[in-house]
Amino acid sequence: MRRLPDATPRGRAITVDLEGESIPAIEGEPVACSLIAAGENVLSRSVKYHRPRGPFCFAAACSHCLMRVDGLPNVYTCRTPAKEGMRLERQNAYPSANVDIFATIDWFFPKRFDHHEMFAGVPVAEDVMAKVARQLAGLGLLPKEPGPTALPSRTLHIKVAVVGGGAAGLEAARVLAGKGVPFLLFERDANLGGRLAHGTPEDGAPFVPEPTAFPQGSVLRRATVIGLYDDEHGRYLAVASQEPEGLRLLKVYAERFLLTVGGHPPTLPFENNDLPGVYAGRAVSLLLRRHDVAPEVATLVGHGAELHALAHLLTQRGVEVAAVVDLKGPLPANAHPKACVGDGLKAHGLRGVGALSFTPQGGHKQKVSCDAIVVSVPVTPGFELARQGGAKVEFDANAGHFRVEADADGRTQAADVFVAGDVVKAGTAKDAAAMGQRAAQALLGGLS
Amino acid sequence: MSKALVCTCEDVTVTDIEHALERGYQDVESVKRYTGFGTGICQGKSCHSAVAALLQKSKALKSEAVVPFTPRPPLYPTELRLLASAPVDESVPPMGGVPQELEHFPSALRPQGPVPQKAKVVIIGGGIMGLSLAYNLALRGETDVVVLERGYLCAGASGRNGGGVRMQWGTPALIELAKRSIDLMKVFARDLGVNVWLRQGGYLFLAKRKDTALRLEKNAVLHNKYGVPTRIITPDAARDIVPGLTMKDCLTAAYNPEDGVIFPWAFLWGYAQGSVKRGVKVETYTNVVGFETSNGQVRKVKTDRGDIACDTVVLASGAWSPQVAKLADVALPNEPHRHEILSTEPLKPFLSPLVSVLDTGLYFSQSMRGEIVGGMGDPKEPAGPNMGSTLRFVSRFARALTEQLPNVGQVKVLRQWGGLYDVTPDNNPILGRTPGLDNLLQLSGFVGHGFMMAPAVAERMAQWMTSGTSDELFTRFNLRRFEGGALEREEMIIG
Repeated sequence: MRRLPDATPRGRAITVDLEGESIPAIEGEPVACSLIAAGENVLSRSVKYHRPRGPFCFAAACSHCLMRVDGLPNVYTCRTPAKEGMRLERQNAYPSANVDIFATIDWFFPKRFDHHEMFAGVPVAEDVMAKVARQLAGLGLLPKEPGPTALPSRTLHIKVAVVGGGAAGLEAARVLAGKGVPFLLFERDANLGGRLAHGTPEDGAPFVPEPTAFPQGSVLRRATVIGLYDDEHGRYLAVASQEPEGLRLLKVYAERFLLTVGGHPPTLPFENNDLPGVYAGRAVSLLLRRHDVAPEVATLVGHGAELHALAHLLTQRGVEVAAVVDLKGPLPANAHPKACVGDGLKAHGLRGVGALSFTPQGGHKQKVSCDAIVVSVPVTPGFELARQGGAKVEFDANAGHFRVEADADGRTQAADVFVAGDVVKAGTAKDAAAMGQRAAQALLGGLS
Repeated sequence: MSKALVCTCEDVTVTDIEHALERGYQDVESVKRYTGFGTGICQGKSCHSAVAALLQKSKALKSEAVVPFTPRPPLYPTELRLLASAPVDESVPPMGGVPQELEHFPSALRPQGPVPQKAKVVIIGGGIMGLSLAYNLALRGETDVVVLERGYLCAGASGRNGGGVRMQWGTPALIELAKRSIDLMKVFARDLGVNVWLRQGGYLFLAKRKDTALRLEKNAVLHNKYGVPTRIITPDAARDIVPGLTMKDCLTAAYNPEDGVIFPWAFLWGYAQGSVKRGVKVETYTNVVGFETSNGQVRKVKTDRGDIACDTVVLASGAWSPQVAKLADVALPNEPHRHEILSTEPLKPFLSPLVSVLDTGLYFSQSMRGEIVGGMGDPKEPAGPNMGSTLRFVSRFARALTEQLPNVGQVKVLRQWGGLYDVTPDNNPILGRTPGLDNLLQLSGFVGHGFMMAPAVAERMAQWMTSGTSDELFTRFNLRRFEGGALEREEMIIG
């Protein structure tokens, strides 16, 4: 990864401290982005095999980018804004993440190691193993300080709570605002738009509105919903709100909950799919569109419309696309010139991606050099919150993922929980917006 | 080395999933527990569907049987200090809880084919009590045993507890049982081939009130008499054992270095595998729907997969025991009470013992994987089979924990869940024959500490059942004791 030569300046140039070394960064961008742009690909070592890891999802949906940041363990560096002098340390590695002697575990156990049965009942060996295992387990260190107390919590009451400021949530908010219905929208990112702002461009997709387009105070950013709970007063969202003065918990009681949280970039199982340099498709479009950071030579694997659109986007921005492997096929009319239908994926490299091998349909196995493997598959619906709220979740065998069961207007099994967008079915931003609109209209029925 | 990862938080490979399937763990919840997928920092966001798709493709599961594991709050790792700020109205009982557990598991998960038509012993409940009894019966040659479990192994309290094991009890009977259990836990891996990760880091009980302090002192004398090396220590000595402990408002502490923590799930796998290997049948996702009784005997256990004629029935359904007993017109005095618990991000070892403030029921320890695992009872918790999670609990717990260990304020909670204590009027178990139904044997009422008692209780019960010799345990804790007379109450209940 590198910062593109034509990068537009997006913030103050600063430095952060990576284990004593000064690393250039842009103030406010995710610090993981600064690190990979500076060529630091290994950010952590995995918990069991000590495999090298670099950021993958840029969505706080995996664990590849966790580092010790200013003395705090397991911080998502993909969502932590870079600050001057920020102290970053790689966890779970000895003596260093680049040369970690415990990575030998990975070599000793080429297939798997069975901690349930290894040395079970073997005198002495099992005691030694228990002691060693305890020292090796755990990620990160207990903070040395208690830290400041959180800001006093706030309790809010609102007609409609919308979770997620992507295509579906924003369209729903527009409908609600137009009808004068009081609502609060919670977006965990600093920016609105979700994939509209940082996904692959899509024909006919709606524009991202400015927060000022909505009634004042109705759109909260950097506000992460952590649960849909209930108590003696009714059902409410618990929200971790990052405010300028600190962290604050919000309890938000609502008559209707519209969950437009989108989906998570899933793991695609193939050999060495966890090497630094393997990225989720939406991570790559975010890095490119928002931060002008991109691979030198990329290969893309996956299926679905976003795969091919992303390949084109990378080419347009001057990234060499060495191969696009569509795992499902057939290739669409607008497929990238380097696209083929294929399978048999394997990533190659020691501490980072050096090549991808694959087998094109009807052809021979190929090995293509690259510094990034981009996994672009449809996101898996983020059904967790809806399930907590009492909605039913079903397995879609065709898509190979769980999704929230809902009617065309986003009604779920729980009377006050509505859903729209990728949380129901992975589709285009346009589809998501249309469903957001329908759900917003539907949820008004019976509202006091 | 080349590996195809499916859960990168916990380094679970595709081969691990295949291995779990070979071992017979085929539904999402069981595969999660056996392989550890989805238990890491991301809580399954990137792997949950990927694993489900592998299971479905392997043909181990029909599509309708592919149900997700219960997603737990919080959705993202959340610092204890933030949770501590949530307002709690302690004057009212806790209400609600999310997510609600499935009332019934999908019928598609039910195994094909009927259950055996007859068996000598039918054990209702595939938690640690039922499975350890099945194993101990099989060891003594009684292999004509069927264990019925309504869900997957670990679905009930045996899969939801904090894994603490201690000898520090208030009555000789429980002290003796706990001592024997811990001895058996030490050799569990040798006997059953599965690691249970017993770590004897001790239990450190703290007392805030004078009467609690006196109880600890009195108990320590009793413990010493029974060979348990509990000692009363000063607040300073407690702080030496747990660096950073404030001991705020604490008068005294009791410490037994031989208590410890274990990894609960492995016991169920070990006992189940050990039993099945010896001929026992363990039937998961199978519901008991009734009994056929005549002349003061249970003749048949009816299930949704057919009836089983049997000589003896053992009721080992934990907090569900009263519900099952009712099907045989037997009234049990047990009541289910929700107890909530949580687990944090895994950290390198810093906490050796399990610490408990006896006055409030707060307890916390560090698991083998490095997570802080802890809970705290709610004095206002109403009886009922609710296993949902509340913000009220995490808030109360976070405040109580950070009061004693301030440096965990910025440690993040990964998940919270609830389980049921099987509470009896005197906090003691219900064991032995049922008045009026002689061949229905009770094995329940362990008030949140059944897990640590099970290995020893099962050994005694199997001995008693197969030898026909008498054992005072099964008269002392018989259901008849509630008919009148003074009860000997156990007060060392936490959580």
